[in-house]
Amino acid sequence: MVEKISFTINGQLRVVEVDPEMMLIDVIREILNLTGTKRGCDNATCGTCTVVINGKATKSCNTPVRKVAGAEILTVEGLAKGKELHPIQKSISESGAIQCGFCTPGIVMELYGLLENKPDASELEISNSLNKHLCRCTGYEPIKDGALMAQKLIQDRNKTK
Amino acid sequence: MSYKYIGKSYIRPDAINKVTGKAQYLDDIRLPGMLHAAILRPEYAHARIISIDTSEAEKMPGVVIVVTGKGCKLHYGDNIKDLVPMADEKVRYIGEPVAAVVADTTFNAQKALEKIKVVYEPLPVYIDARDSMSEDAVLIHEENGDYWHLPTLKPQPGTNVANLYHLKKGQGKDGFTEADVVVEGDFLYPFGSCSAIEPHGSIVWFKEDNTIEAWSSSICPFIIRQDLAHSYGLPESDVRVHIPDIGGCFGYKSDITVEQTVAYIASFVPGYPVKWVASRKEDFTSTLLGHGIRMIMKIGAKKNGKLVAMETKVIHSGGAYADTAVNVTIAATHNSTGPYEFDHCDLSGYTVYTNTPPVGAYRGYGHQEAQFATERLIEILARKLGMDSFALREMNYLCEGKVNSLGETMWKTNGDMKACAEKVQNLVFSKESLQEDENFYYGRGFAALMKSPKGAPFSTKGCYIKMNIDGSISINMGGAEVGQGLRTIVQQIAGEALQIPPERIRVYNDIDTQYSPYEWQTIGSMFTTQGGRAIIRAADKLIMVLKQTAAQVLKTDVDYLDYDGEYVFLKNDPSIRVAVPELSRGYITSDGITIGEVAQSVSDARLPRYSNPDHNGQGSLGVEYTFGAQAAEIRIEKKSGKIFVDHFTSTFDVGQVINPLQIRGSVMGGVLMAIGATLYEKVEFDQDGKITNPHFFKYHLPTYKEAPQQTIDFIETPGTVGPFGARGIGEHPVIGPAPAILNAIYDAIGVDFFEIPVTPEIIKQALANKQQKEYA
Repeated sequence: MVEKISFTINGQLRVVEVDPEMMLIDVIREILNLTGTKRGCDNATCGTCTVVINGKATKSCNTPVRKVAGAEILTVEGLAKGKELHPIQKSISESGAIQCGFCTPGIVMELYGLLENKPDASELEISNSLNKHLCRCTGYEPIKDGALMAQKLIQDRNKTK
Repeated sequence: MSYKYIGKSYIRPDAINKVTGKAQYLDDIRLPGMLHAAILRPEYAHARIISIDTSEAEKMPGVVIVVTGKGCKLHYGDNIKDLVPMADEKVRYIGEPVAAVVADTTFNAQKALEKIKVVYEPLPVYIDARDSMSEDAVLIHEENGDYWHLPTLKPQPGTNVANLYHLKKGQGKDGFTEADVVVEGDFLYPFGSCSAIEPHGSIVWFKEDNTIEAWSSSICPFIIRQDLAHSYGLPESDVRVHIPDIGGCFGYKSDITVEQTVAYIASFVPGYPVKWVASRKEDFTSTLLGHGIRMIMKIGAKKNGKLVAMETKVIHSGGAYADTAVNVTIAATHNSTGPYEFDHCDLSGYTVYTNTPPVGAYRGYGHQEAQFATERLIEILARKLGMDSFALREMNYLCEGKVNSLGETMWKTNGDMKACAEKVQNLVFSKESLQEDENFYYGRGFAALMKSPKGAPFSTKGCYIKMNIDGSISINMGGAEVGQGLRTIVQQIAGEALQIPPERIRVYNDIDTQYSPYEWQTIGSMFTTQGGRAIIRAADKLIMVLKQTAAQVLKTDVDYLDYDGEYVFLKNDPSIRVAVPELSRGYITSDGITIGEVAQSVSDARLPRYSNPDHNGQGSLGVEYTFGAQAAEIRIEKKSGKIFVDHFTSTFDVGQVINPLQIRGSVMGGVLMAIGATLYEKVEFDQDGKITNPHFFKYHLPTYKEAPQQTIDFIETPGTVGPFGARGIGEHPVIGPAPAILNAIYDAIGVDFFEIPVTPEIIKQALANKQQKEYA
């Protein structure tokens, strides 16, 4: 019943021996002790468990770990380079988008999945992405502000590359 | 007033930890040897427990112990000790703990839970207080009246009424003889859930040295400490409670909720920390719900619009245990006048046992439920009087010299209700109203509001300030950071008070009852006001310590010295001075001898002269008020009945804005939360007392696309209690949305609603009825 499954997470190759039906969130939190990925509901509704799998924002609470064999996973812990925050992290932390912070990791990863793939994403695409996440604190406006600031920073960064 | 650090948008110090995933919430804590609990919930909402068979569960893999409530006689609570950690002979609501499994993993604990067999004898189930108040109702607590309770409470033995609060002002009911016009209505603010995105959780560890260490997603560490110490016969100093980062509170993580249950379970495995974290379903069924308040309200007025009398009956379905509901009822009752003066009041609040999860604090604490009724009824009264509703309101606002229901006189420093209303009126109602078109009806609605903290006479907040050797500042307080941004506020207030830049001030990271200064609990939108006052007092003391040392160094009197954050210097000659860091651990003289004290100080602050109610239910029970006005601009889709809140406007008199970015965030979030309650959110029960929608895909929280554009503005009439005149604002934004939106619905389609949420089905039905009437 237990299988060896390997994947890359935040740039490190990891091998876990688990029930392949175990949900990715449990592997990330309970086995790898990466507790930045949060659980806020029972049915993949709140979005706070979102991680990036092969470049795509994905809910980890309804993704069985067998599906990520060989994949490249990124969690919120993997974005900053040392003390240098990713543009999304920088923007979200300055725009007022953080109050309790519990929905933040999921939203950051959602925006990463969108904006790193599509830096010119339309406002509609950004709002479609953010609409997958529940935030009880902010009224969402500062999250939108943060997303737009991040988009600009990413575009500027890509230009100078 | 111009300030150096107050009124500027500093970025919160916890933002980086939160955005990098390093913030540590309850479920992120890992302790050596930690075990995990799963809790069994009953199949009935009201039943006797005949037997529990745990034998199969005990044989399951990973199981350490199976715990039941058999013989457990512990009772706890802050107001009424009617709570039990686990059901003994009887279950009273669908989420009550019946048994628990402690195992090596949560998975194994949950698997074993399925093997526990319980036999119940069902009893009648009451969801609505009106049913459990009926004369032939079975008692949910036979012991009602026998439990320890605060001396100010009045349980009604032999009934399901856990408390009856009554307030009389002036002639009470007899005041209606002075009224020319009377309006009345029956309003319902149904059960809701605070639904923080982080569910509740606790870890409790009974240690071999006979101490208890606990961690909880709570804003009341000192109450948990006191309660656990009392239950387990320990000195409070032997119970240590930690509060990690909290993923939102909104009320239901206050008081004592899940901690006693986890402690009871953990007490069977001394030596091992036991963790329990609620599933989302359990967060609905087994923590605290909000609201459940029916308001039966009557208002009497003179022909010219002068309000004269109010009669309110608050029927509160308080849930299976009333400890946490009772003060919500009381707050709803004496605040049901809204921001208006009535000469005569007869206000009654019934906290009633029902077979539903206990109701507790929900952001707004009784105010939104009560003033939902007031602000709808004022509109109805204006129509009946043929008066402009703004003029009617303005004539009656609480302002300087007016007396509220509690008998408290309002002063100018309590804030300017009229200015708030005028601002919103100008922003929203000076525009042409939109005319109905092919697809939509349009409407605008207004609500005025006020809120007091509902504190307690002993509700203090402590502050400890320590100056470090380099002159930087460490501040330790007992206030819980739930997302409101109190660490930033502490930095700014302390910076201003000490004239030291906020960048050189570090605020504690977590609460630990072993080190943190005492704080009653972080509730009632009072941290900035009371905590800020404590900071200023501690800062003044610290400056005095620095001056005392400097007086010795400069060979003068303390009162001949001034302080500017960098130096202590002579009043007449600032060039004769000593640098502040040189005074931080006393002053080291040139010969190495150190004089003076270490620069540190302690202080606290409570609501000045807060009192118990007198025989009329009146007293100094509000003390601090924030007034505000809000308005909704809505659109109703004809085809679907869907309501769109396009724009929402709020103005509050907050005395002094401390951090513009954060205060705007607080208001925006509060408004959206209350829009959720008005349009979508209702915890639904079937007739057996089961919650039918305990999940986010059924209990709909407002999403990104449902958030309106918001205009938010502030009036700044400095208050007398808070730092630099600042008043509370955390809860206030939730009070106006329901009445403002329902008033807007009336404006749009001419239909009065008395109950929320107003769903598309309800609107469609109302439109159909209206059409039928028009044809007839």
